[in-house]
Amino acid sequence: MPDAAVPVPLEVYRFAPGVDAAPTYRRYDLALTPHTPVLTALLKVRAELDPTLALRYSCRSAICGSCAMRINGKSRLACETPVGPELERHGRVVVEPMANQPVLRDLVVDQAPFWQEYERIEPHLKLDPRHPMPEGRPNPMTPAEVERFHDTPRCIACAACYSACPAVAADPAFPGPMALAKLYRFVVDPRDAARQDRLVRIQTEGLWLCLRCHLCTEACPKDVRPSERIRDLKEMAIAAQGPTEPGSRHAVGFASNVRERGTLQEAKLVRQTFGVLGMLPQVPQGIRIWRKKPEVTRRPGPIEGLDELERIYAAFEPKDGR
Amino acid sequence: MERHEVVVVGAGLAGQRAALAAVQAGRDVALLSKLHPLRSHSGAAQGGINAAVGAEDSVETHIFDTVKGSDYLGDQDAIEFFCREAGPTVVEMEHFGTIFSRADDGSLARRPFGGAHFPRTIYAADRTGLALLQALWERLGSETLTLYEEWDVTRLIVRDGRVQGLVALDRASGEFHEVAARAVVLATGPAGRVYAKTTNAHSCTGDGIAVAYDAGALLKDMEFVQFHPTALLESSILITEGARGEGGLLKNASGERFMVRYAPHVQELASRDVVSRAIVTEVREGRGFQGPFGGYVHLELMHLGKERVESRLTEICDYARRFAGIDPVTEPIPVYPAQHYMMGGIGTDLHGATNVRGLFAAGEAACVSIHGANRLGGNSLLETLVFGKQAGVAAAAYAAGAPAPELHSTDLDEATAPLRAWSSRSEGEDPSTLRTEMQRTMEECVGIYRDEASLMEGIRRIRALRQRAERIRVVDRSGVYNLNLTDALETTHMLELAEVIVVGAYARTESRGAHARTDYPKRDDARWMRHTLARRTPEGPALDYAPVAFTRFEPTERVY
Repeated sequence: MPDAAVPVPLEVYRFAPGVDAAPTYRRYDLALTPHTPVLTALLKVRAELDPTLALRYSCRSAICGSCAMRINGKSRLACETPVGPELERHGRVVVEPMANQPVLRDLVVDQAPFWQEYERIEPHLKLDPRHPMPEGRPNPMTPAEVERFHDTPRCIACAACYSACPAVAADPAFPGPMALAKLYRFVVDPRDAARQDRLVRIQTEGLWLCLRCHLCTEACPKDVRPSERIRDLKEMAIAAQGPTEPGSRHAVGFASNVRERGTLQEAKLVRQTFGVLGMLPQVPQGIRIWRKKPEVTRRPGPIEGLDELERIYAAFEPKDGR
Repeated sequence: MERHEVVVVGAGLAGQRAALAAVQAGRDVALLSKLHPLRSHSGAAQGGINAAVGAEDSVETHIFDTVKGSDYLGDQDAIEFFCREAGPTVVEMEHFGTIFSRADDGSLARRPFGGAHFPRTIYAADRTGLALLQALWERLGSETLTLYEEWDVTRLIVRDGRVQGLVALDRASGEFHEVAARAVVLATGPAGRVYAKTTNAHSCTGDGIAVAYDAGALLKDMEFVQFHPTALLESSILITEGARGEGGLLKNASGERFMVRYAPHVQELASRDVVSRAIVTEVREGRGFQGPFGGYVHLELMHLGKERVESRLTEICDYARRFAGIDPVTEPIPVYPAQHYMMGGIGTDLHGATNVRGLFAAGEAACVSIHGANRLGGNSLLETLVFGKQAGVAAAAYAAGAPAPELHSTDLDEATAPLRAWSSRSEGEDPSTLRTEMQRTMEECVGIYRDEASLMEGIRRIRALRQRAERIRVVDRSGVYNLNLTDALETTHMLELAEVIVVGAYARTESRGAHARTDYPKRDDARWMRHTLARRTPEGPALDYAPVAFTRFEPTERVY
């Protein structure tokens, strides 16, 4: 049951681009019970201390996706992050706007880049005119079919994953975790006719730029697990089209050359990933490596117990066309 | 100046559906909302959408249940149309891509809901609103229309009894814009935030209802405010009726299933007004639990088993765990009623048309009326889609034949002068103080139970707050994302509507549906089988009354 109020030092990022020379952090000292959400704390600041603080919020129950921000460095929803555990871990509550999106004011970011990525994956059902929807009744769908994507609408487009993603920060060509998780939703939908096109397109449009760091899944407040959906997309893309991109060739090559020798064959993997001609730009790098650590560029011999490894591979081999 | 044929204000389910219909009719359409469409409060709807598609069920039964649920204040012609549209509407949403939960045979799964004879509520786990909102937004994405995202409507421009457009504030730039329109559809949702305890989002401030009222539109049945029986204690976050639909039980402090006494036939699945009053009565008569956040009762799901609770009530588990520190798989959830829904709103006909030419309304901002004095669970999502489409179709047809809008060079200045005055004051009233006092007043004076004394007191206090609001002051002088300014705007909107609610409740000397007068505990069909209509005057709302449409069901006493 409710606990006593404790002092909460709140340090909030304040910045008006074009007005302020640089962002500042303003400190507000509040007394709150530990289970108080950060959003409630910020609204208390607005109501009682400083009505000029700008932030987005609406539902206060983790369903509208408005109040994602960085709290002690982590991208989260302010409405469902209690101050208590933050104080225990960090001694204070530092609140900053999400990353990877330009700041409009204080905690409000311009989400246009995020929404553009969402639009880019064409987030709507594409129908095949040869297979119209059943007249006057719903498409039948078994619970097992629905199971594959029943939870995908849990995504509330809060952009916490987009803020947490280092690939988004590094490469504008990467659509970001949310857009890819949304793409998964359409790829597995039995009503969608563009599955193959979608998979082929995404292979060249950023799918393989994911760094597999899983920070999106850690940030996601709704357990959408974008990194797992990205992994699913990669598997489906290879199955649909084969390894046509450096990213997918790297994945397939990695698996095959470990299977062959029980260890990574670096030089061979470069060839597998980029192709013979594609290796040319890598040559200077190869020479540098060969000078420093020549053993890396040599083909390793098979490890002991390779037969055991083969059994592991065989166990994971796709069966019955799956 | 922006210029469109049809401008839809509010981008939740009703607004989006209206926009889709207007685009499909070939009109140039703009969708304007203070939130990104996917952040609309429609997404918070949990339980489901009603459609009598089961073999044992029938449209007739859906009609009857809705009429009875409305305590006979719903217009039966509208309800008939509404229930007939239910099946096609759900099928259309499935075709748009909604990911509904399924039964083993591949059909749409259904769950029982309060006030319904049969399991009629089609759902997507306990996030039906979100699943529908996403599917509709995705469907709308393949059409061409203009989106004004994070724009607040501040005034309608009406000339010669006809809508000419509106004025809106762009939050990102802080600039006011005129938007010329032949037809305007208001789908801005409810004003639940007039109450202190509400399941509604912070954004539910009734902006569209307030600007319509200001422009001369009649507000209908505003005194009918639904309190949801099961809101999470302290935060008032909604715990879906689906939790009881799945078999959840309500118990008082002695572990008694008290609903057996109030609704012997259907117990927990009685209509919402009945269950809410039962909970309040249990607590008032000392049979509830008591804690620092007031009295409450228990909602038990433990007997349903971990698997069922976690798969069918996923969000509820999250809410209870994150916002109350309670695991519904092993512990009861502390609940108490909170404001949830407004049956009233901008008065419209079956086509969403208001008494102002060119002005249409749909969804919770509107009152057709199909919910009458009390809405059944599962009917509001359906309403947004059925009547959103109606309003969009009608607005498009009207716009096709309407003269080009006429805006004057002084319109923008005139419309924004009061708002600019707020920012030029060196002293004045703080919007959040006024808002807090209004919310407390509504909670204390116009809650679940009302009587003459409390309502008199409510009128006095709200009028005093309205006077103070004349001197409202905005201290934030920045143009960009000025929430101090939007707070002031929303607060003045809500104070207008609070007055209409309390004045309407004072005048209605009977108890019907969600309007429970302890001094007039009986329904009085002879005097009050009629809709309240409120028109804005400088002295406050002027009330008038209109008949209820009857087609087939004569009123009888409502027993569950």
